[in-house]
Amino acid sequence: MKRPAHVVMRRILLPLVGVGCVLGFWQATLSWYRLPPIVLPSPWAVATTLAELVRTVAFWRDVGVSLFEFVCGYLIGVVLGVGLGLLMGEWRHFRMAATPVVESLRFVVPFAWIPLTILWFGTSYVGKILLVAYAVFFVMVVSTTRAVAQVEPTLSRVGTMLGMNPWRLAWQVHLRAAAPTLASAARAAAAIGWIAVVAAEYIGASAGLGLMITNAATSLTTSVVIGGMIVIGIVGAGVSAAIGALSRASLDYR
Amino acid sequence: MNVHADIPHPNPVPAGAEMERSSQRSSKEEHRGELIVDRVFHRYIAGGRQTEVLNDVSFRIDPGHVACVVGPSGCGKSTLLGLAAGLLRPSSGALRWDGVPVAIGRNPHLGMAFQQPGLFPWMSVRENVAIGLRTRGQSRRDARRVADEFLDNVGLADFKDAYPNQLSGGMAQRVGIARALALRPRLLLLDEPFAAVDAFTRLRLQQEFKALLRLDRPTVLFVTHDVPEAIALGDVIVVMTQRPAAVQRIIPVSREDRDRASPAYARKLAETLECLGVTSDIQD
Amino acid sequence: MATTQERIANSPEERLPPRVVAWLFGVAGSAVALFAWTVLSRLLAHGGGVINRLPGPLAVVRELVQYAGKDLAHDLLASLHVFAIGWIVGAASAALLGLVLGRAKHLGNVFLPIVEAMRPVSSIAWVPLSIVWFGFGLTSKVFLVGLAVFLVVIVYAVDGSRRVPHDLERTATMLGMNGWQRFRSVVLPGTLSEVLIGSRVALMSGWGTVIVAELVAADSGLGAHLIGVEQSYDVPAVMATMICFAVTGFAMNAAFTFAERRLLPWRHDRERQDR
Repeated sequence: MKRPAHVVMRRILLPLVGVGCVLGFWQATLSWYRLPPIVLPSPWAVATTLAELVRTVAFWRDVGVSLFEFVCGYLIGVVLGVGLGLLMGEWRHFRMAATPVVESLRFVVPFAWIPLTILWFGTSYVGKILLVAYAVFFVMVVSTTRAVAQVEPTLSRVGTMLGMNPWRLAWQVHLRAAAPTLASAARAAAAIGWIAVVAAEYIGASAGLGLMITNAATSLTTSVVIGGMIVIGIVGAGVSAAIGALSRASLDYR
Repeated sequence: MNVHADIPHPNPVPAGAEMERSSQRSSKEEHRGELIVDRVFHRYIAGGRQTEVLNDVSFRIDPGHVACVVGPSGCGKSTLLGLAAGLLRPSSGALRWDGVPVAIGRNPHLGMAFQQPGLFPWMSVRENVAIGLRTRGQSRRDARRVADEFLDNVGLADFKDAYPNQLSGGMAQRVGIARALALRPRLLLLDEPFAAVDAFTRLRLQQEFKALLRLDRPTVLFVTHDVPEAIALGDVIVVMTQRPAAVQRIIPVSREDRDRASPAYARKLAETLECLGVTSDIQD
Repeated sequence: MATTQERIANSPEERLPPRVVAWLFGVAGSAVALFAWTVLSRLLAHGGGVINRLPGPLAVVRELVQYAGKDLAHDLLASLHVFAIGWIVGAASAALLGLVLGRAKHLGNVFLPIVEAMRPVSSIAWVPLSIVWFGFGLTSKVFLVGLAVFLVVIVYAVDGSRRVPHDLERTATMLGMNGWQRFRSVVLPGTLSEVLIGSRVALMSGWGTVIVAELVAADSGLGAHLIGVEQSYDVPAVMATMICFAVTGFAMNAAFTFAERRLLPWRHDRERQDR
């Protein structure tokens, strides 16, 4: 079915106009104020820089390192977070006992842990992986606990009636019922985890995308800085889209 | 000592026969297929306050009979079902099946259909019906076969592969009932299963339901707020009072009473409604 | 059929009100956690391995008290100063832009997708650029905090300005309000209340951005102190500073939630609903 014209215009053309406006504004600002490239490079300069970067090995190595740290930490954080969240959701007394600890740790944002991980693990990838795991873990624990608690009570009764023991009920019914909520939480957690890696690399790293950008900032190669920011955004969007696609594929029944 | 002397029975036996039966009461066989609710009290605590829900409820359902529990909204009928299903433990008193108190948690002898169908949204209709059988140890192939059979029985043969979000309310309820029946339960518990559908679908479902019961003849405890439905389906109507609920009266229903065109039906309806505090003639 | 009540009824020992029970368990859980921490720190003290120094809770508290006696107030104020300015700037600009983009449909359709695309890219990605532009000073940090707050609040502002409840619009029409009156009495209050809620949500991201900005700039504030003690390998001090940061965040959040409940009692924020 062909989309009505005004929908096409609204969803594709107008945003493109917006992008064009921003680019135009960008170019105009630097031309008007005659800003040197170390302050604001032109959009074209950024584009060419990116094109060059993509051809270098070092760039891909840096992106690879950051992605590796992120993915490892993310997986650990999701598994532990959902596991603990499920336990807290199911077992009322445990939830009451663990909540103050979880809630207080939640206020120690991942960024606050960066210096400590550097002290303990240096600039190696271990510290970054643990940082991402921490950030992701907390998002998932809170979401899972809440989601499990909000499962429709009838489903629990049905499961018990059908003869499921509490473990099976938790695993086969509660977790499955909470899955859509967990999928959105997983996307949010990915965003936080990814930015945690980048932030950690800004502060102390031996390799990675964040380090590449920080070095460029120190040497005032601003086009690399802006290019790097764009890459951060693209990778973040890619990860989010991947998780979205994965969750849509497995939660097809909606 | 006759333990069950004070449990109201719809068809009391003459005194002589009573003495003969008491000597046989000790064996479990005597109570096979019977659901006995014995002086059950139940209260719960919510927000620091205690609420009494059931107040000395006692009655008995004979094997293979259908007991319809009617009463004002919120009087505790659903709680009673929860107790019979082993989902709750009574504050005091006992519910006994086959002469043995109902266990908390898993009870393989029973099947239950809830007020909300409670279908697992991530499973197809067939899988929803089959899951109970798989939990009880049947193989996937056998479970699917039985599930298909019961889905045919409730008239949903064409929807076996559909997902719950594609079904109407009445259809979902039928799946819930098929799921309970597929377990071949000896005790069937139903919590206002036809409440959420329109009046016409309800009448049709009632007829289908009677046919389905003929298969295994389970003992049935059926909660409803619809008195005509209770007369149509029940062998016995247990009328409850307002919360805290007690048994107000136990009204037996015979075949003649079910004919809606008969004066017997009208009398039975009037009697039941009167118990519930509703006069059957509306004065202008 | 009762739900949570089912379980309560079945545990006859629960004669205490549920809040007290939760509190008791919570205290027990925290005690267990603290105990585990102490044990772990003792175990690791003589070993080696990666975590070669884990101070026990007492050492951290001692360090905290020491810090409180010396520079804590000064550093804290510096951080709060940065935060407050950035937060106000960010929230105000988000409110303004949200109002404009929300009401002017065509402008919104043009520019909102760009804002939407920028949102997932946390303001922390902008840190190096901010350093290039503004150096390490206050402007740089305020920019970053403001951007973080802006990105959160803008959604609330746009939502608030667009989603005027239908019956309010009709009431305004019925009362014969013109455009400006309608704006002032219906749109503006709705938008502002949403902005207020968004600003509270943005508290944590804003406060987190403060620390990142200070970790990088390392000139003043809690973050700077954190870097300082990190470089002198003073683990208890590092943990003490982290705790300061967390407690301040918690206090601000609690204060703001309290204020929100007083100012906007009719608004039940989904975030705060716990079973």
